Amino acid sequence: MQFSTEHKTDYTEVAGNGRLNMVAAPKLREVVQEAVSAGYKRIVVNLAETSFMDSSGLGALIGCLKLARQAGGDLRIACVQPQVLMVLELTSMNRVLTPHPTAEEAFSHD
Amino acid sequence: MTEILARRCFRDGATADAIEALHTELDGLWDDASFVPAMDQMAFTTAVIEAASNVVQHGVALAGRELQLGVELTVSASVLEARISEIDAVSHTQLPPAGLPVDDMESGRGLSLIRALVTTVTVERQGDTNVWVLSRVQAPPES
Repeated sequence: MQFSTEHKTDYTEVAGNGRLNMVAAPKLREVVQEAVSAGYKRIVVNLAETSFMDSSGLGALIGCLKLARQAGGDLRIACVQPQVLMVLELTSMNRVLTPHPTAEEAFSHD
Repeated sequence: MTEILARRCFRDGATADAIEALHTELDGLWDDASFVPAMDQMAFTTAVIEAASNVVQHGVALAGRELQLGVELTVSASVLEARISEIDAVSHTQLPPAGLPVDDMESGRGLSLIRALVTTVTVERQGDTNVWVLSRVQAPPES
């Protein structure tokens, strides 16, 4: 899985392309940790190109959310695909990681 | 006897790389069995990857052996079945009780997810192998 990071005006967008599984989960933590350590605390993970997520990937998102919040920021997810939505709903984690339709909208109502 | 319409087999060392290879095998299975509804494909794939990842993350090799992951996937008209083998592994056939962890826990959701995605899940001991058997009964097509 490939990750890219782009610093926008109001948030930092981390986009993941591929499968967010036990192989990719540590990479996501690393990418978000790097952004938060550099002072970018409002993170949007864009999942438009993330075709699959398992519980390891979900665990990484939760870990990244904690990282961002501990730094005084937040992490949100956007452009969630059907399989990822299924995993979020079956684990009830859509209550904590609420999917946003687009990355732009994730922090637009703050 | 139930006719098998598609089958894939996989065996490799129980490493993280094997999970990527297994996922590719699952994609090939759905190429062969494209008649299976997308929802069933998605649910079954997720359950199989969860169980195989559990083997890689938590399986313990017998002394002097190397843990192997074996997977047999079969598709019949009404059932999707996976036999996920933890080969040369210390015995464990008791699945923990169902339940989700608190929201901020980063692990502990895999088994609940499997249970939600398949109709039955069991683990049995065969020789030096623990075999997870996952089956998902497909909804009959609407007439």
